Amino acid sequence: MFPVIKGAAYTLFHAPNMLIGHGTTQVQERQKNADSDYLKKIPSFLRSFDACVSYPPNQSFIGTIAPRELDMLPKPWFQNPLPEAARFAPMGEVMPEDELYGVMKLCDSFELVLLTPEFAAATAAKLATHPAFVGADLSKLKQVSDHETISKLVGDHVAEPLMLGDNLVGCVRRAHDSDLSLTAHIIYENIVAMASAVVTVRNLMLKSGLNPLDVDYIIECSEEACGDMNQRGGGNFAKAIGEVVGFVNATGSDTRGFCAAPAHAMVTAAALVKAGIYKNVVVVAGGATAKLGMNGKDHVQKQMPILEDVLGGFAIWVAENDGINPIIRTDVVGRHSIGSGSSPQAVMTAIVTDPLDRSNIKLAEVDVYGVEMQNPEVTVPAGAGNVPEANYKMIAALGVKRGELERADIGKFVSKHGLPGFAPTQGHIPSGVPVIGHARQEMLAGQIKRAMIIGKGSLFLARMTNLFDGVSFVMEQNPGLSTPTTAVLHTTRIGITLLGSEHGLAEIVRGAEQAARFNPELEVVLIGPRVDSSLRQVVADCESTQHEAMEKMLASGELQACVTMHYSFPIGVATVGRVTTPARGREMFIATTTGTAATDRTLAMVKNAIAGLAAAKASGIQNPTLGILNVDSARTVERHLHTLAENGYPITFAESVRQDGGCVMRGNDLLVGAPDVMVTDTLTGNVLMKVFSAYSTGGDYEALGYGYGPGVGEGYGRVVLILSRASGAPVVAGAIKYAGDLAKGRLLAVAAAEFSAANKAGLAALFNKSAEAASTAIADITPPAAKPVTEEIAGIDILDLEDAVREVWRAGIFAGTGMGCTGPVIQTAAEDYAAAFAILAKAGYVKA
Amino acid sequence: MDLENQRRIKDLTAKFGAENLIVVLGGAEAEASGLAAETVTAGDPTFAGPLAGVQLGLSVYHIFELKEQVDAKAYDEQISMMEMVLDVDAIIAEVSTMRNSYSKYGK
Repeated sequence: MFPVIKGAAYTLFHAPNMLIGHGTTQVQERQKNADSDYLKKIPSFLRSFDACVSYPPNQSFIGTIAPRELDMLPKPWFQNPLPEAARFAPMGEVMPEDELYGVMKLCDSFELVLLTPEFAAATAAKLATHPAFVGADLSKLKQVSDHETISKLVGDHVAEPLMLGDNLVGCVRRAHDSDLSLTAHIIYENIVAMASAVVTVRNLMLKSGLNPLDVDYIIECSEEACGDMNQRGGGNFAKAIGEVVGFVNATGSDTRGFCAAPAHAMVTAAALVKAGIYKNVVVVAGGATAKLGMNGKDHVQKQMPILEDVLGGFAIWVAENDGINPIIRTDVVGRHSIGSGSSPQAVMTAIVTDPLDRSNIKLAEVDVYGVEMQNPEVTVPAGAGNVPEANYKMIAALGVKRGELERADIGKFVSKHGLPGFAPTQGHIPSGVPVIGHARQEMLAGQIKRAMIIGKGSLFLARMTNLFDGVSFVMEQNPGLSTPTTAVLHTTRIGITLLGSEHGLAEIVRGAEQAARFNPELEVVLIGPRVDSSLRQVVADCESTQHEAMEKMLASGELQACVTMHYSFPIGVATVGRVTTPARGREMFIATTTGTAATDRTLAMVKNAIAGLAAAKASGIQNPTLGILNVDSARTVERHLHTLAENGYPITFAESVRQDGGCVMRGNDLLVGAPDVMVTDTLTGNVLMKVFSAYSTGGDYEALGYGYGPGVGEGYGRVVLILSRASGAPVVAGAIKYAGDLAKGRLLAVAAAEFSAANKAGLAALFNKSAEAASTAIADITPPAAKPVTEEIAGIDILDLEDAVREVWRAGIFAGTGMGCTGPVIQTAAEDYAAAFAILAKAGYVKA
Repeated sequence: MDLENQRRIKDLTAKFGAENLIVVLGGAEAEASGLAAETVTAGDPTFAGPLAGVQLGLSVYHIFELKEQVDAKAYDEQISMMEMVLDVDAIIAEVSTMRNSYSKYGK
């Protein structure tokens, strides 16, 4: 049986001060000329933590978006932050520099890391609420030093400073007074590598449920060397990291091989598990301070931020076959041997096609290749080209030489089997391994079957050999075990709070269990008092602690969405309900059902339309149709939406089932479900939800549909769905299913895109204009002489009717008002109809 | 071009004579190949290495330009794959411009 990849975590560390102080490019520059222009310019080219977090490739690295989605985002990425970006993501996090300094202290066994008391206390407080450090021993942060000692050590050049802007908050001192392998600089680099690895392993434990006591072996595969003058590079980072994270049953060792080391380590881990020597092996590497700002001079020269402001880390859990997680094909391993030859062709043949040939796999039968995934936005300005793309072209060109594809299809092969570069240029970090986590998730979701992970190394850098190096392995979707397993495959985790229902706790649990049974891809987590259930539980004793737990788990990425009741949204956020309409069983989104999209009724309804379209699209309806319920302001809303559509915000309007058609919907359309999205004011929407959910039970028990839906609003960053206190178990189950759909459909990203498109189409301008129009009211105009009226002009909002008729009078035309069969109308004589209509259209009361 | 390679070329030129040396480049990109060609003909444009201000005027070609001169089998094994991947025309244009402007030998 092949071993499996049971978990993967990826981390980034925003490190602008380390970049200045310890990136090799900057260190060398300072040695040559401490007053250089470049050094002076650096501070104004550094990014903020928030800019670093919202940088799209960084979000891809930690798992918020798939790498392929980067190709669809506007470039340059550094000028187009990702709207749904968050520090904590499904596969890891971006950690700020101060917290990393704190973790460095946690890694310090020889009193080499000194922190000031205020900084240590502040950082301890931050780490105490960090989701990956729950239960961690933070007591080392109580061992503090003082400013004077730290300043003196730094001033005497026997310690490397820990800076936050202009503040000296600590230092790392040398570990020996004459040993050149234990200088402050080397100790600093090594403790950073160790601390960043510790954070990454803690994220792996948080995200994958890895029990620290189960780990047998650790393989560390960074590019640093720890040891003293008699054994430089002696090791052992692995065991040092394991000690800090509590792997008390494990030992470990360090694997080196430049950028190829992670691939070597993965093959070794797979072999150890396959051989049965160990059951659970963790492969880990932290970041390299030396590489920070490596291409900074080029970035500054090109007037772009210094993008190499992050350290990277990854940790992978290799375990015995569970029948679920992707397998490592230990029989399809590629290696560049000493006799392979160093031409690119020889290297690619040895690493890519030789192992595939041995197992009769064609190049195109590998869905995705993980090569050196350096972010091209970093490397292209530095003249190093698009590294992943060049690698993919080489694989394709090899395919052409072998007759597996046509030369004209190289580009097609690259886009189908390749990914855009999304990893930081941290040497070993981008080398194949960033693709493991994404490929694992896509295999679990059944989207891809096979991936090849390739690591390559430039050994000449050590001046020991001119040989090249490369290793590859293949991971595949797990075909399942021959013996059945009780474990379940989950790809999305949805929370549900238990307290607050009029039907009691058990009703909610019954709904949650039903949802888990019907939707095996969802893991349902109960948040509330402990109950008798096989579902995972997070204990909370009252409604407010339920909401706190929910918010924390959503922020950390532990939950992708949560269903709750009696939860307050800010103004600007309203919920989009989803019902099954009775006439034909069609689903319909009601926008909106609780919350307040805006305090102005018309603006609120226009925003409801945008929220409704976002929820429908995220639920998988590609081109939802939109209707406006014939309530007060419907006609004005219709006009505004048409203006947005004309300005480029795409809306497909629904047609009423009634003979006169149009997108303003009648009661009949509600029952039929004529539009996919029904826009209404929130109070009406709320009434409708209750009627649609409870008409079959007689009233006080809501038994149908999907509940009141997610809060959607511009800039709102959580997926929280609402139930009523009267919602019964079937609606609970429906709401959890709806939550799962929205999580998979990435509601937050879709909503951000919808609002952005509507804003581009002039959403704000629309309402400034209507405010102006209102201020120049025309109440004083009197009617011309009356005459018989036989024609009707429909489509005017009831609230505008009086102003509209005066507008016609102003032109000397008599008109009256009345109520037609679809709503208010203006009546004119037959000969005046065209002129009156033109006046009303020009003034914006009806659609021309 | 890195400093070590500049030193080696300078030494070889001193030993064998500029007229007896041909530099064959294998750069993967036009700009870098052009810079290397410039370094061994007009001198190191970055003024950082041993060839700064030294105009050797050597004969210089990219391997892509020597396809006809090379054993077909060896070329196929070593070069043909990269020929599909790289921007051959741009590389040749850059290197030949440098050669035509600054080489004193074997143009």
